[in-house]
Amino acid sequence: MSESVLVFIALNAILAYSFYAVLVAGQLSLGQAGFAALGGFTAAALAPAPSEVGDLPALLVAVVIGMVVGALAAVVLGLPTMHLRGVFLAIATLGFAEAVRILLINAEWTGGANGMSVTKVVTPVIAWVCLALVAYWFWRQGPSSYGRALAAIREDELAARAMGIDVGRHRLSAFVTAGAVAGLYGVLWAYYVRLLAPEDFDFARAIDGLVMAVVGGSTVWLGPLLGGAFMTSVPEVLRSIGVEAGWIRPFISSALLLVVIIFLPGGLGSLLPRVGARAPADLAEGGEGLAPRSGRALPSPGETVVRVSGGNKDYGGVHAVRDVDLTIASGEVVGLIGPNGAGKTTLVNMISGLVPPSSGTFEVLGTTPGRTAVHKVAQAGVSRTFQHSKLFPRLSALENVLVGAHVVSRPTFLRRLLWLPGARRDESQVVVHAARCLERAGLGDRSREDAGSLSYGDQRRLEIARALAAEPSLLILDEPAAGMNHVEADALSRLIGSLAAEGLTILLIEHNVGMVMRTCDRIVVLNFGEVIAAGTPEEIVNDPAVVEAYLGGDDATPPGTETEEVR
Amino acid sequence: MQQLLNGLFLGSIYALFAIGFTLVFGILDRLNLAHPAVFAAAAFVGIELVAVGGLSIWVALPLVAVFGAFLGLVIERVAFRPLRGRPDAHFAGLIGSIGLGGMFIALLLWRYGPDTRRFPVEAFPSTAFDLGPARVTLLQVAILVISVLLMAGLTWLVARSRLGRAMRAVAENPRAATVLGLNVDRVTATTFALSSALGAVAGALFALNVNSAQLGMGTAIELKGLAVIIVGGMGSLPGALVGGLILGLAEVFAVQYVGSSWRDLVAFGLLFLLLVVRPQGLFGSRRVREV
Repeated sequence: MSESVLVFIALNAILAYSFYAVLVAGQLSLGQAGFAALGGFTAAALAPAPSEVGDLPALLVAVVIGMVVGALAAVVLGLPTMHLRGVFLAIATLGFAEAVRILLINAEWTGGANGMSVTKVVTPVIAWVCLALVAYWFWRQGPSSYGRALAAIREDELAARAMGIDVGRHRLSAFVTAGAVAGLYGVLWAYYVRLLAPEDFDFARAIDGLVMAVVGGSTVWLGPLLGGAFMTSVPEVLRSIGVEAGWIRPFISSALLLVVIIFLPGGLGSLLPRVGARAPADLAEGGEGLAPRSGRALPSPGETVVRVSGGNKDYGGVHAVRDVDLTIASGEVVGLIGPNGAGKTTLVNMISGLVPPSSGTFEVLGTTPGRTAVHKVAQAGVSRTFQHSKLFPRLSALENVLVGAHVVSRPTFLRRLLWLPGARRDESQVVVHAARCLERAGLGDRSREDAGSLSYGDQRRLEIARALAAEPSLLILDEPAAGMNHVEADALSRLIGSLAAEGLTILLIEHNVGMVMRTCDRIVVLNFGEVIAAGTPEEIVNDPAVVEAYLGGDDATPPGTETEEVR
Repeated sequence: MQQLLNGLFLGSIYALFAIGFTLVFGILDRLNLAHPAVFAAAAFVGIELVAVGGLSIWVALPLVAVFGAFLGLVIERVAFRPLRGRPDAHFAGLIGSIGLGGMFIALLLWRYGPDTRRFPVEAFPSTAFDLGPARVTLLQVAILVISVLLMAGLTWLVARSRLGRAMRAVAENPRAATVLGLNVDRVTATTFALSSALGAVAGALFALNVNSAQLGMGTAIELKGLAVIIVGGMGSLPGALVGGLILGLAEVFAVQYVGSSWRDLVAFGLLFLLLVVRPQGLFGSRRVREV
């Protein structure tokens, strides 16, 4: 292999890493060519000439300038565009990159379309050292709490928010990482090709980077390296076996791209054995129950946890929730029942901050959901499950629960970079904690399976384990027993009972009325968005309004313990 | 006045190209990056039909549309259908269509070589009219009329016809559409065929308009097509029309008043501004996310 091929493999892999940096968080950005151009040109213009200070010092200064400029550009672009998703973000960032290119072509200091001549300093060794550092960064990032949070955002942004992850900040930091890595690419490119031209950083280059990242595998840290090596060496291999220039080479490259994407869904990286977090074999240490990790004490019994007064939610002309007053004291287990469409889920969505109320005051654990960001409400001690499972499907069961523990675990990424022993200790503590939560939910033997491949009932239980991992003060369960049989529902009842015994406050939405009657201290009945009854299970069973709402008749039987609603 | 008209003609081609892009995006939620390759391929095939086959341009254009539709079917079958149902279907389709588009371009290189091709001079009568101070060629009028007719036809098709109803049902919820007995595969394939047929006609008209066809012509218009569908609103057909015209006018006036080297900056500046202020575009509607 010639020197230039070696260097280009390293450079392309670094470019691919700048795409990987945002793809792991589920963002598609095509602005990297712009960051690279800004970084490369600024560094080439500002850094001292290699003839004056020596090759390596000049390159080091240039790399620092380039990465800082790339990161700054990412902040400037990221702040106004972080609310965009998917293709919109891709096209906005692409527009930015094109604008940068045209600015550079028209600027004086860049030499315009003719470009800028730069001394060639980069050698294969330098290029590969830089690549190794970048790859090391992402290797250490992956299994850290920061890396898991990014993966959670990729899999399900809303659920990530509800687990207490500050999605905006994480997305922006992923974006800035991409900017810095792209800046590094721009500088290395400048100091290798001798003549730096704005055309080097066009749309086609951005597409190349994206293709290499995806072909290599956008969820495996070695992926970009594999993708870069593959896409760079295919034309070289074709040349060496005697395929002439012309149409055959681009044809085969494109066809290989298609084949990889169709037959290797996870990219080349999926051929590597997967190493995920592993549950410890021995959970015995520390005894039963959930030893608090957060240091956050539960609110003292009887203290008000939730206060809703005059809560309203309108969707157009539909009043989903009307003038609801609800107070929940610490340690209570409150059931929320009512026919379909009664507004139960809307109410808990407002309590957990996911949906802003149309009017009314909400106070939950000292926060005001609707005005307080969702992740802040979660950090205050609210944790929930969703009516339709919102797990992180491509993460293992254990990893799902680890994400749930986000608010009670310490950040480990920077310490992992430096191999500080504290990081490993913290990580293994969180893993033990998560494994216990899985165990409690009855999923101890499922820890390594992907959440998306679990059975329906197991997915419901995994949601509960994930919510428990956050050590909540208020646990909201939205139809946890849906789709479970009697045996499973009974086990769930016992779990809720034991959690209540530990002092957790629980708000339970459930259609299995029998289960609600057995588990709850107090029941609130909603119908057409209004509270039609509230009281102890006995009072509710005998309330005529409830009977009316459930069965619609005059002389019907009350919602007895065996009446499960047909849905 | 002259500039206004020029912008209009250019814009109608952009719109015709973009409307194919946006049709697939609006209905299937996929960005088909092989679309630019169809655009280029159609220009070359159109030139061959007229120059070598000796056909009239009025026979060649429908044939080009059929050719485009065929490519659309191939794209759907090869680059999109195998990827359905994957968690990252969005990225995967994007990459798959880039690969297939690259193969198309490579095949063009094999058949036609790397040189620029042109329609023969006599392919289209060079009649021109004077409209007050401005001068309009018959070709430009034809381009405008064909583009507007095709777009109006497509809008009618999607809004009124049985096929259009099926397309909108698939857009809303593919699974429910299947349950209701719609052949989702066939509707999807038809959507791709229609989209590519429009892209192909746009390619042939573009080659007529600038009187040249190059292998890279698709890449050049790809960015503009993306800009147009964003400005108009993703998936909105009238949006693509208006967006195309706005972009055409903006470019022509930018060249006039700011200089040609800044032309593309105007387009992307507008695009960027609009995305930040109104991401759903001028005509798009924002989808409410469900919890």
